[in-house]
Amino acid sequence: MSQLFDALLLLLLIATAITVVRATDLVAAVVKFGLYSLMMCVLWQHRGAPDVAIAEAAVGAGVTSVLFLLTVARTTRVEKP
Amino acid sequence: MRWLGLALVVVAAATLMLGVADLPPHGAHDAPVHTHVGARYLERGVAETGMRNLVTAVLLVYRGFDTFLEVVVIFSALVAVVALPRGRAARSRDGDDQPPAALLTREGPAQERISVSPVVAFVVQLLGPFIAVFALASLYRGHVSPGGGFQSAAIFGALFIALALVQGRERAARLVPRGARVWLQALGPLSFALIGGVGWVLTGAFLGYPAEAAAYALREAMVVAVEIGIAVGGAVILAQLFMAMEG
Repeated sequence: MSQLFDALLLLLLIATAITVVRATDLVAAVVKFGLYSLMMCVLWQHRGAPDVAIAEAAVGAGVTSVLFLLTVARTTRVEKP
Repeated sequence: MRWLGLALVVVAAATLMLGVADLPPHGAHDAPVHTHVGARYLERGVAETGMRNLVTAVLLVYRGFDTFLEVVVIFSALVAVVALPRGRAARSRDGDDQPPAALLTREGPAQERISVSPVVAFVVQLLGPFIAVFALASLYRGHVSPGGGFQSAAIFGALFIALALVQGRERAARLVPRGARVWLQALGPLSFALIGGVGWVLTGAFLGYPAEAAAYALREAMVVAVEIGIAVGGAVILAQLFMAMEG
């Protein structure tokens, strides 16, 4: 059960990572990346690393998302092919 | 070009996969990582340091010097960001390619200020004190339960950014006194150096901690002092990074 949960989460992580890369709307990419961080946080906690999970939730999902959004606001929102 | 990139990715991934396949199984007790110095930490760490959170024990006591330099690296990152030239010359000059409307609450010449949803503002302000208490608890109890200076810094920094987004940066900036900012943002390296010096005086080694069981309270005070330095310094660095990028 535990292994299955991890496997499922890892597959979701890969799927999310692909959608992040494929998104041309950079704000959408940032939001998806926040989702990626949250899943990563659950995974850390599940693998017995609560210290890392706390930092991942605060930095990965919180701070870096805002910093990315600020960068998008200073440049352009749509990625050019 | 596209196929070349794909081929490179496939080769790199195959190499990594081969490497991963060679690793010992997850959690194997005879894996190299568990048989050398790690085994000693697990066996005697609690008795030697008096800290039940072995992550903190390794970070601050056994590998204190590594963590010291890590804190210096974080501080250097802020220095690098602040040193970058700022300005708006780079954008919205060429007319036809206007940037989209402001994403966040920032004012610009050609941009409208978008107000934050009152629901979001209310929830952030409602949760703020609880988040702050959680960060404080994770700081104060970092050596006995999961958490510690870095986690606390991350939570405080995220809270600051959330408050700055809903209340405006001027109000949030008042949380960090302007005059003290210079010192606060360097508090991580400073407290580490100070406590390292105290350890030098007490034990003869930089970042040494008194080993006697009776000195537990002193050891705990030293560790908490370093943790406070990391937490406050780290949080102020995150806040400054945000303000440098937003301003």
